[in-house]
Amino acid sequence: MKIFNVRTFLLLTALLAEAIPSFGADQAKPFLETIHHRRTLVSTIPDSGDLNPYAVVVAPVSAGRIQKGDVLITNFNGLTNLQGTGTTIVDYSPVTKQLTTFAHVPQHLPQCPGGIGLSTALTMLKSGWVIVGSAPSTDGTTRTLGAGCLLVFDSNGQLATTWANDNIRCPWGNVALIDNGSSATLFVSMAGFDVPPLQVRDPVTGYPVTVNKGTVLRINLSIPEGKPPVITDQTVVANGFGQRADRDVFLVGPTGLVMAADGTTLYASDALGNQVVAISEATARKDSAGTGRTVSKDGLLRRPLTIAMAPNGNLLVLNAKNGQVVELNPLTGEQFGAQWIDNNPAQSPPGNGDLFGLAIKPDGRGFYYVQDDVNSLLEATQ
Amino acid sequence: MNWLRNHQQYLVRCIALLALGPLGSSAAGFVASAQSAPAKDVVTSNWGKPLDPNQVEPFWAEHQGGIETKPQHFTYFAAFDLTTKNREEVIKLLKAWTAASARMSEGQTAQPLESGLQLAVAPVAPKGGDAEDAPDPGSRAADTGEVLGMPASRLTVTFGFGAGLFIKDGKDRYGLAARRPEALVDMPNFGSIDQMVPEHTGGDLAIQASAEDPQVAFHAVRQLARIAEGVAQIRWVQTGYRPTAGDRHLLGFSAEEKIPGMNAPQSQAVWAGKEGPDWMRGGSYVVVRRIRFALEHWDQMPQTYQEAALGEMKHPNMPEDHSQTKVKSSLDNVVTEDSTPPHLAIVIPGRDAMLRRSYSYNDGVNFTTERWPPWRQGLEYDAGMFFICFQRDPRTGFIPVFRELANHDSRLNQFWTHVGGGLFAIPPGAKQGEYIGQALFEAR
Repeated sequence: MKIFNVRTFLLLTALLAEAIPSFGADQAKPFLETIHHRRTLVSTIPDSGDLNPYAVVVAPVSAGRIQKGDVLITNFNGLTNLQGTGTTIVDYSPVTKQLTTFAHVPQHLPQCPGGIGLSTALTMLKSGWVIVGSAPSTDGTTRTLGAGCLLVFDSNGQLATTWANDNIRCPWGNVALIDNGSSATLFVSMAGFDVPPLQVRDPVTGYPVTVNKGTVLRINLSIPEGKPPVITDQTVVANGFGQRADRDVFLVGPTGLVMAADGTTLYASDALGNQVVAISEATARKDSAGTGRTVSKDGLLRRPLTIAMAPNGNLLVLNAKNGQVVELNPLTGEQFGAQWIDNNPAQSPPGNGDLFGLAIKPDGRGFYYVQDDVNSLLEATQ
Repeated sequence: MNWLRNHQQYLVRCIALLALGPLGSSAAGFVASAQSAPAKDVVTSNWGKPLDPNQVEPFWAEHQGGIETKPQHFTYFAAFDLTTKNREEVIKLLKAWTAASARMSEGQTAQPLESGLQLAVAPVAPKGGDAEDAPDPGSRAADTGEVLGMPASRLTVTFGFGAGLFIKDGKDRYGLAARRPEALVDMPNFGSIDQMVPEHTGGDLAIQASAEDPQVAFHAVRQLARIAEGVAQIRWVQTGYRPTAGDRHLLGFSAEEKIPGMNAPQSQAVWAGKEGPDWMRGGSYVVVRRIRFALEHWDQMPQTYQEAALGEMKHPNMPEDHSQTKVKSSLDNVVTEDSTPPHLAIVIPGRDAMLRRSYSYNDGVNFTTERWPPWRQGLEYDAGMFFICFQRDPRTGFIPVFRELANHDSRLNQFWTHVGGGLFAIPPGAKQGEYIGQALFEAR
């Protein structure tokens, strides 16, 4: 069974505002066209009862309690299901098929302003350190939004250090990582700068007011042997992204990040701008590129979230407003189509609000993702 | 004859829908086989017979009332924390509760009106100069009076013992820890459906007062709580009601109506036997759960979704929903290896392991956050089901069935949350002159 109806797809692309050429015969087959199966792997709810899985990261190495290939997942909600109160990172082993709690931090840490609500900003270094963002609340709404922090765990799930400073405001989307072992560069999207209260409404849209203060922060790390990573410098490489409070989904702002194949360009999802942008010279630049250059906008995108790079070099972008993953060419912006990986009709449109984290499987023949509606990790495969 | 034809078509639709799930074939098989003659010791064999709503239900009996009793239309459930440290005071409380309940079951006041209120345990007078401030319960009325002149209304009062009676915070307050039945387990967490609020969960003692009149049910608990002053205090309460006809819950369905034998367990599944302590023989174990339904969200679902989720058709008079194609997205051509069984297909295999005697509840509106995308927050109905089930052992009754639900009922799990409840050992009934739970305290 084919995943796309190619004719339908061509019709869709023809309808897009910009006439995008259909992909040529010499181009790689769309990755999503090879994906034919999906199945639930495990419930992501740990013993603590945390809910709402966000980040999905595949462990690059074996270290401590983590085996290479394990899937690490954050939970954004606590036992009482309030958003921004989740305190656990769980570990799914594809070998044993079991889920265990990797890390469980207290709800309040003095060094993390506003408390703990673990977000999609999760990554694991080759040296075994696990770094995760907190975009916290105490009542499940942005009324009590805290500045948050980044937390660093050792590979046994013990908290090693935390980072909080003026550049860190609700680390939000998936982390882009360049890891050289003894040094590393992280890119983290920040969506919590001066977010107006929910009650302040835009008279035109009726939504809470959007402020264009979201950023992407580059953090260079040095990783001394046997010691936690240390920030050597940090630079805002992009700023001016829309961010706002949301009654239902908590926070909307810049989210997904992934490095381009050239090793220097960074792609970012601008959720409120409904676009994917490119930030040039992201690894080296000393100033901000603003909101970067538009790569792909509107079309099949519906408030884009996590971005991952497929083995064929295309970008996979998850939609917030429906249960689809969109594949697009980062060089041309061409959107190849979308696959409905969560079609739960309990939301409207189906899958609305269900997706957030996605990671390509180590063998490149599929991807892992979470469904918030059923608190589960799934895989989509050939 | 038209009715009959409709009913037959309806049953066919039910069976067809059940067959959607992996358990469908066995479930459909059950529908057919359950129409054979029921066994004689089915505990609910009297439930189909009409009853006088004013009548007296027996209090002194082998089993406590309110279990195999045909469900009354209203219930008032209360869990209590014991505040006394004294074993004798617990016994006095149970004696006083037993006597008052027997009287109220016959339509009498809780205590004789002539003598004023008699607390289960008389208050200790303060020492020294405050002696004149000592409360005088005898100056209060023996009964609060709101059901004077009313009939017995089929009142039953059922008493349960929570784990806290046996051991609490590691303390054996009443010398009963060694007599805690193994079946009175600590309830596991059913992650995907549980959001248990501590203030609405647990308790050392429980009272289920059920009647054909809501004031009669509340009156019973109100009197018993009064008598308990100084010994036990209310921890949480829950009201419940059943519709005057049928037994549809607030999602709009009724398994009992549509699946013959859905609620007809054999007595051996309900009453504790030799496997446990002697003092529990002839008793039972009750699991109660306050299950909040996301009704606003549910009401936006197409009928096809609702019917697929429950595994039954809504009602013979409801027209078929013509939006069936919407349930499976036409955009999705990927083979999913997950098959989601309907609710009924999950619960039917465990149907004989417990006696379900549930009520709906409706507690107004309050601010809440739904547990599922799109994560709506706001004022929503605080309404749903007060699920009640009696069984010989929750480890073979409620727990395995609800573990299956938590793991596999993903369509329905997006619309309900278990927010409170408890597990209580229900001792057997008492003979006249005895008190409920006597064998527990007098066992050697």
